[in-house]
Amino acid sequence: MLLFTATLIASFTATIILNPATPSELKELAKYYVLNTINETASPEAVTAIVWDYRGLDTIYETLVLYLAIVGGLAIFKMSEEALLKTRIGLTLLTKTSTKIIALLITSIAAAIAFHGHLSPGGGFPGGSAVAVASMIIIPVFAAGTLIEKGISSTKLVAIRGAALTALGLVALLPVVRGFEIVTNQKFYPASILGLPISGSLSLYNLLESLAVASGFTAVALYLSIPEEAYKGGSSA
Amino acid sequence: MIASILLLIIASLLSLFFVYMAVTEKDLLKAVAYSAGQSITYSILLQAMSTPDIVMTYVAVSVGLYSALLVFVISKTERFER
Repeated sequence: MLLFTATLIASFTATIILNPATPSELKELAKYYVLNTINETASPEAVTAIVWDYRGLDTIYETLVLYLAIVGGLAIFKMSEEALLKTRIGLTLLTKTSTKIIALLITSIAAAIAFHGHLSPGGGFPGGSAVAVASMIIIPVFAAGTLIEKGISSTKLVAIRGAALTALGLVALLPVVRGFEIVTNQKFYPASILGLPISGSLSLYNLLESLAVASGFTAVALYLSIPEEAYKGGSSA
Repeated sequence: MIASILLLIIASLLSLFFVYMAVTEKDLLKAVAYSAGQSITYSILLQAMSTPDIVMTYVAVSVGLYSALLVFVISKTERFER
């Protein structure tokens, strides 16, 4: 307890004296990115430019790792949509209506984060996981069986995810056809279409990544909402 | 500058409180709520350190996805820790 208090006091004194919130000067690497990002990637957002352009290959592999993790997680669960169809009631009308409003708000903010990610803070992964949050509050409130009746099955979600990731890989691979390096941005893709600044491939990556992340997490949530009785011998759910 | 340091100190103290409550709580659903509160204070810390990109991912994953996942998992086991 004494050690704990001492650590606390020491860290707060360090916070006040060193003041990490405002660094006094930029390092050389940071200066390079601040000065050259807008010219080299046509994007004013240095973080997105680093993630999808300067270090683009890293991010592609990271996406692949997440894809394999979700595929592995789905492989553990049994594919039994009949068990899900038994849960069809959901919560009360009041909860359903308020959830509709909240989910709409979350989804529109997520769309702003994802599709504006090449111009302002945000990007594919935050946007996609915000959509996944909306679907994770929808699934328990409306019951998974209702969603499956409406045609939102996990097979379709996994298919959307696979298609989005394939398109992402194609966007990364297409410059190779013209003889550029893999994950080339500005030499191959245009900076704007019809006056709309799209920052080359950055907005495409953000769009596809958000689709992939959202559908993947939604599929996982659908499987997690299978009631536990469905696994124990089956019939009495 | 003073305001941002004050924000850092208050948010980190609050996060310590939330972590303590989450660890000692026996009701797992309440523990998840405390964990979400800790995540909110951490996102205040990150915003005070001016990293908005990380704040967006952190809020969506640790307040939304992580809590929702834990609630789904708790619904498959028992709510109270013994």
